[in-house]
Amino acid sequence: MSRLPLLDLARPSRRHWLGYLLLAPAVVLIALIIIYPLIVSFDISFQKVDIVRLDRRAPFTLANYQQLFGSAEFWMSCWVTLKLVVVVTACCVALGLATALLVNNRFRGRTVARLLVALPWAVPEIIAVVIFAWIFDSSFGLMNWLFFRLGLINETINWFSDPNAAFVAVVVTMVWKGYPFVSIMALAGLQSIPEDYYNAARVDGANAWNRFTNITIPSLMPVLGVTMVLVLLWVFRDFSIINVMTGGGPLKSTQTLSIMTYEHAFGFFKMGYASAVGVVTLIFCVLASLLMIGRKADGIY
Amino acid sequence: MTRRRLNIVLIYAGVVLTCAILLFPIYWLVVTALSKPIDLRVLPPNFWPEVPQWQVFGKVLGDRPLLLWLGNSTLAAAGAVTLSMSVSIFAGYSLSRFRVRGGQSLGLFILTAKMLPATLLVIPLFGIFRSVGLVGSLWSVILAQATLIVPFTTWMLKGYFDTIPRELEQAAMVDGCSPLGALFRVILPVATPGLAATCLYGFVLSWSEYAYARTFLTSAQGNWTANLGLTTMKGEYVSDWNEISAAAIMVAIPVLLIYLFLERYLVSGLTAGAEK
Repeated sequence: MSRLPLLDLARPSRRHWLGYLLLAPAVVLIALIIIYPLIVSFDISFQKVDIVRLDRRAPFTLANYQQLFGSAEFWMSCWVTLKLVVVVTACCVALGLATALLVNNRFRGRTVARLLVALPWAVPEIIAVVIFAWIFDSSFGLMNWLFFRLGLINETINWFSDPNAAFVAVVVTMVWKGYPFVSIMALAGLQSIPEDYYNAARVDGANAWNRFTNITIPSLMPVLGVTMVLVLLWVFRDFSIINVMTGGGPLKSTQTLSIMTYEHAFGFFKMGYASAVGVVTLIFCVLASLLMIGRKADGIY
Repeated sequence: MTRRRLNIVLIYAGVVLTCAILLFPIYWLVVTALSKPIDLRVLPPNFWPEVPQWQVFGKVLGDRPLLLWLGNSTLAAAGAVTLSMSVSIFAGYSLSRFRVRGGQSLGLFILTAKMLPATLLVIPLFGIFRSVGLVGSLWSVILAQATLIVPFTTWMLKGYFDTIPRELEQAAMVDGCSPLGALFRVILPVATPGLAATCLYGFVLSWSEYAYARTFLTSAQGNWTANLGLTTMKGEYVSDWNEISAAAIMVAIPVLLIYLFLERYLVSGLTAGAEK
């Protein structure tokens, strides 16, 4: 390095023009398709508009937010979102961690097993919905038949017209689609734990359970924390699974804030109001992830 | 040693059982596609079709514009990936090699941009595309999907460039390459596997995207993507589950193939920037 100071890319004079130039196309694109739209949506959330128009502004008003915080539908959607986020995230982490621990064992064929365990990750969300919509079909679906055989029910469940059943169907679909992400991440985390830790613990006479609780879990916490935030945000933002599976119904029992935003924007064409819902959703997203990341950081340091 | 054998047996039993349960939905999709419609309306269900109905794939391709939909999805993905890569290569390289003022915060912004709810962005994007007459055109989907893909590709490429030693460019520059020349003639050729993996990852994101396609393309049937077309099949009054399943399999196959190929890059792609 010291022999070739002229060519050090981090040298001050190199920092300037080329670094900026290389970033410029990305900055322009992001400004156009992310930042400008974000500003527009904040802007119209303070206007009474039906369909977004860029050439004409309606007067500033807080009416959308007043209407929002006064509406039972909004609080209902908050509750549905919270329930869904907690249940799906918890199940994804539990299932993902369990599968990762299972295929992290040494056995022949574990490369294939790892591939298979994470396979649902590669199934597009819409196709997962097609699969589970059929499994939860009320007349000839497998789920009703299985529940019958197990003696859990006496009459068929109409999965998509019963509010609680529809919620369960959405949860199952999302967990199936979401857990592989946790197992992929957890597996990467497990493999980065040095074997020496376990050997040292064995020498000290720690049994398998002790090794798990004192080495595996603490070493995995940072990875699991980040993963949990990412899963949580995925559930928070999901549109395709719920929209195609239930459309938010029945009786808005699966209408999360994302679905509510979309419904008001493109179902009722109240885009000003919908943007207000969307902005509040975004704020919740940011708060939730900050909270999680903050707690995680406390845990490590 | 018997305890060890018992362990191995337990592990195998666990793995087989877990895979069987978790992969059953995929198996069931295939069985449904290959069953006669009449066999799907009986209980108990048939877990294996007596005579697999392979012709269902031909029937779906003949009855529905599925090839058109798949073509549109391919076009949209090609466009979105090309657009995203053409800015991400430079941005990723800059983030990896240069200490630009504001570069770190820009990188973090790009990282958080992938967490934005599509349902919020889709409203202003609809207004913007409507005012320039893009609603209904594949370009609207290409541009909107870039909001999802650019964050991933930029961070994945940054991570990939980080693994390439700086001495390579320095050697090239000693030999008289300009810094840009070094990027094109030395770094990009070395990074080809990473570039390919990143492209494929972007392809998967675009192929699986639904919200933007549904919003911008619903009224333009000729431009429907595969996902959008598939959901219209599901919405029909009488659902022929064997045909829907067959169509779903054909839509899923490109992504599944990419997954098998990409598996070893997957972790780096998913964790790209996650440590930050």
